[in-house]
Amino acid sequence: MAFDEKENKPKTSLGRLSRRSFLSQAGAMTAAAAVAPLASSPSPAQTAKADATPAFPGTVSVTLRVNGESHAIQIDPRATLLDTLRETIHLTGTKKGCDHGQCGACTVHVNGRRINSCLALAAMQQNAEITTIEGLGGPGKLHPMQDAFVEHDGFQCGYCTSGQIMSAVAMVKEPWGKTDGDVREAMSGNICRCGAYPNIVAAVQAVRRMS
Amino acid sequence: MDQISESKIIGVATRRVDGPLKVSGAAMYASDHHFPGLLFAWPVCATIAKGSISSLDTAEAEKMTGVVAVYHRTNIGPLYRVPPASGFSLILDEKRPPLEDDEIRYYGQYVAVVVANTVEQARAAAESVKVTYNREKPDADSKLRGSPLTTEKPEEKSKRGDTAAALRSAKVKVDSIYTIPAETHNPIELHASVAVYDGQKFTLYETSQAVVNHRDVLAQMLGVPPEQVQVITRFLGSGFGGKLWPWPQSALAAACARNLRRPVKLVVSRQMMFQSVGHRPAIEQRIQLAADLDGRLTAIEQEYVNHTSMLDDYDEGCGEITPFIYSTPNLLVTGGLARRNVGNPTAMRGPGAVPGLFALESAMDELAVSLKMDPVQLRLKNEPEIDESLKIPFSSRHMKECLTTGAERFGWANRTAEVGSMKRDGLTLGWGVAACAWLAARTETEASVELKQDGTARVACGTQDIGGGTYTVLAQIVSHETGIPVGKIDVVLGDSALPSGPISGGSWVTASVTPAVLEAARNAGQRLLLTAVKSENSPFKGRKPGELEFVGGMVRLKGQAQSAVPMAEVLRIAKINSVAGTGKSAGTLGAAKPEFSFHSYGAQFAEVTWQPEIARLRVNRVVTVIDAGRIMNPRPARNQIEGAVVMGIGMALFEETMYDRRSGAPVNNNLADYVMAVNADTPQIDVAFLDYPDYKLNALGVRGVGEIGLAGIAAAITSAVYHATGIRVRDLPVRIEDLLAMPRSDSAD
Repeated sequence: MAFDEKENKPKTSLGRLSRRSFLSQAGAMTAAAAVAPLASSPSPAQTAKADATPAFPGTVSVTLRVNGESHAIQIDPRATLLDTLRETIHLTGTKKGCDHGQCGACTVHVNGRRINSCLALAAMQQNAEITTIEGLGGPGKLHPMQDAFVEHDGFQCGYCTSGQIMSAVAMVKEPWGKTDGDVREAMSGNICRCGAYPNIVAAVQAVRRMS
Repeated sequence: MDQISESKIIGVATRRVDGPLKVSGAAMYASDHHFPGLLFAWPVCATIAKGSISSLDTAEAEKMTGVVAVYHRTNIGPLYRVPPASGFSLILDEKRPPLEDDEIRYYGQYVAVVVANTVEQARAAAESVKVTYNREKPDADSKLRGSPLTTEKPEEKSKRGDTAAALRSAKVKVDSIYTIPAETHNPIELHASVAVYDGQKFTLYETSQAVVNHRDVLAQMLGVPPEQVQVITRFLGSGFGGKLWPWPQSALAAACARNLRRPVKLVVSRQMMFQSVGHRPAIEQRIQLAADLDGRLTAIEQEYVNHTSMLDDYDEGCGEITPFIYSTPNLLVTGGLARRNVGNPTAMRGPGAVPGLFALESAMDELAVSLKMDPVQLRLKNEPEIDESLKIPFSSRHMKECLTTGAERFGWANRTAEVGSMKRDGLTLGWGVAACAWLAARTETEASVELKQDGTARVACGTQDIGGGTYTVLAQIVSHETGIPVGKIDVVLGDSALPSGPISGGSWVTASVTPAVLEAARNAGQRLLLTAVKSENSPFKGRKPGELEFVGGMVRLKGQAQSAVPMAEVLRIAKINSVAGTGKSAGTLGAAKPEFSFHSYGAQFAEVTWQPEIARLRVNRVVTVIDAGRIMNPRPARNQIEGAVVMGIGMALFEETMYDRRSGAPVNNNLADYVMAVNADTPQIDVAFLDYPDYKLNALGVRGVGEIGLAGIAAAITSAVYHATGIRVRDLPVRIEDLLAMPRSDSAD
C-alpha cells in the first residue's frame, strides 16, 4: 500500500489533475453520491490511488505505519498526524474537533498508547505503530468495544465516537480502578456534546467485565 | 385521524441501523469527503468587531508555496442576497453574503479566503494576508435591559387580562431579573463544506440540519437554479440548532470551487465556531409573579431582551412556553432586541423555551419559598384545564403526572424545606424541581418507499439524522407497515435530491415523517398488489387488488394466510425490480385556526451536593419524567434526554461565551476555556417516559424528544443550589464565587 500499484507513485493528497480527468471523476462521484445508500459512501482510498502524483514543493517524504500497513507519503512538514491520516492517507474515521488537544475526537493509538493526533506532527511518528478506528474493526467485523458501543447506544451523532472508542480500548489496559467513577474520570478527555456519557460508561464497563 | 396502537416494532427498543458505521469510522461526515484535485480553503477573519477594512494586502500570501488563489471582496465573484424566507424555505440567519462590503460588524467576520494545495499552506497564507482597519469602538456589552433597543419598545408577544392591576393588588409577589450569557452550540463536528463544481452543477457536502433549505439558499446566493445545486449531509456530527441554516463558509467554499473549477474543502476552526456560525444570544429577563396566599397565580409578566447582530433581527422568543404552562387570568409577555457587534445569534437547542423556562421556573421556586409552599404543590395547584392563551384544548397533556411520578421516583416526600437542612455523608444536599414544556408539531414532508425483488425495502426522505436516531425511526415505520424486518430496510437521508423532508429542528422530525412514510409504504404496497393481480403467472392474476392484502412482507388473499406469497416472489414472477410509492403530509405549524395546543411536557428533579469547606458543588442526581407522546424507539430517546440533562448541567454551572468589551472578541474561544460537561460531571440520571400516544398529532401518536430534556433543567439545578446554600443565583452560570458570598435570608434576597 506504500505506492499506488498501477502508477507506482507515492500516495499524496497534493495531486493536480488535468481538468478533463477531474471532471470525469467528479461527475462519477457526484452521480454515485446521489444514489448511494447509507452503507456505500464513495471510497476515499480509491480516489487517492487515481490522484497519485509525485512530490510537490514544500513537502517531505515520510513513511508511516498505520493499522499494520506502511504508507510512503509526501506531506507538508507542518502536517499533524490527524490531518495526515485524514487528508493524505484518507483514513477519515479519526475526527477533528478542536485541533488543540481539548476534545479527544482525534484519539488514536501510537505504540499502544492513546494520544491526541492533532497534537502530534506526522513527520515525527515514522517509527511508530499507529492504530486508528479503522484498524480496530470494520462495520461487518466489529471489535468488542465497537460492538459494546452499539449495544449500549454509547453515542448519538457518532462524531466523537471514534475517539471515545480508541480512548476506551486503551483505557481498559491502563491501571484504573473498577468503578463507574473511574471510567468517568478516565474518559473525561473525550467530550461528547450529545452527552451520551452514561451509555459510554455502560459500554466500557461491559467490555471490562468480559475481559 | 388514524390510530395505530398495536405494533411489533413501534415503541420497541431497537439498535440503531447506522450504529456499525458510526463505531467503525465508516460513516461519512461532510469533511470526510475527498475528491481528486481537492484544494483547501482557509478564511481570513477580521480582528476587530466594528469598523472597516482600510487595506488588504495579499501579495505575500499569493507568493507562498502551494497557494492557488486569495479571494476577497473584489475578486470572489457574484454572491447574491437571498429573498425573504417563507415557511421553511430560504431561511438563513446571516443574510449578508460573505465579503459583500468592507464594513466589519463582528469579530471574526470573514474578510478574505485563501485556497491552497494543503490545509497547512492555506492556513499559513491566510495568516500572511495583511489587513489594516479603521477601528471603531465595538458594542459587545452584555448589559441588555435599559440599553437602547433595536425595537423602539419591547414588542407585545402575548397578553390577557390586566397584569399591572393584578400585580398592584397581589398578596404575594416575585419580581426578579435573570440573565443567561451567550452560549455556543459547540457540536464536536466543526462546520465544514466540501464544494464540487463541474461547470454547471454544484454538489455541496455540508454540515446541515436542513439540506433542502440549504440547497435553496445556496442556489440563490450563487445565482443558479435549485436543480443545479445538490446538498448532501449523510451524517451530521450534531448541530443543536447551529447547523440549521447556512453560514458564510458554505457560500465561500462554493464560490472558490466555482472560480477554480476544482473541489474545495473548507473546515471551520474551533475558534471560528465561536464567531461566525451562530450562538444562543445573551438574554435578560424580568419575571413578575402575583399570587394569592393559597398559591394560585393571579398574574405572570415576562419581559425579555436578547442581543442580536448589527444586520439581522434574531428574536429568541423566550415567551414561548409562558402563556400556556400555568393557569392565570392575567398575563403579559414582551420581548425586545439589543444590537451588538457580535456574530448572528441563532436557535440553540430549545430556543426560547430553555432560557424562558430558566427564568419562569426560577421565579416559581422563589414564589414557593415566599409562600412557604412545596414547589411541586405550587405547580400542581396552577395546572390549567386548557391552553388559556389560545383558548383551545391540549392535544395530550400530563404535566401533573410528570410532577407526581418524578416526585415519587426522586423521593421528594423526604425533602425538608429549610435551607441547608438536608445532609448526607458530611455533604449538604439541595433539592430542586422545575416543570418544562416544548412545542410539538408536524412540518410538511414528502417521502418515498420502494419494495424490491431482493426482499428489501428502501425508504428515502430529504431530512437528516443528526444523532437522534432518524435512520432507525424510518426503518421502524416502514417495518411496521410492511412487515419487512428493520435489518432489510435501506434508509436514505441527507440529500436535497430526495423527496423534500423536514428540517432537523424543533424536535419535529419523528412526528413529521410518520404520516408521509406510512402513506408512502401503503402506496408502495398498493402498487405491489396491483402488480400481483396484473402479472402473467401470478397466483393472484385476475383478482381485484381490493381482494388482496400486504401483510408481514407477504401478499395474500384477505385473511387467508395459506395463500401468502412473499413480496420478493411476487416481483420475481412479474419480472419487476421494484415498486414504489410516495407519501406527502401537511404541517401543523402556522395553522390559521389550530384545534389543539400541541406540546410535550416534563418535570426535572435535581439533587446537588455542596461542600462549603472546599467550595465544591456537584449535580449528583437527576430524575426527569417526560410526556412526549408515544416513544418510537426508547434507546435513542432515553439517550437524548440523558444528553440534554448533561447539557443542562453545562448551562447551569459552566457555559458562557465571554466577549472582550474592548475588542468584541469571544475570548474563551476553545474547548478548554468554554467549559462543557464531561463524563466526570455526569450525575445519576433516571429518565422516565409516560408514553401516552398523542393521536391528534399523527397515527402513531409520536411527538419528539430532542429539546424537552434541556428545558427546565437549569432552573431545577439553581433551585437546588438555593435549597443547599440559601443563595439564589439568577445569573447563569452558577459560579463558585456566587456561593462563597454570605448566605442571604429570603427577606433580604
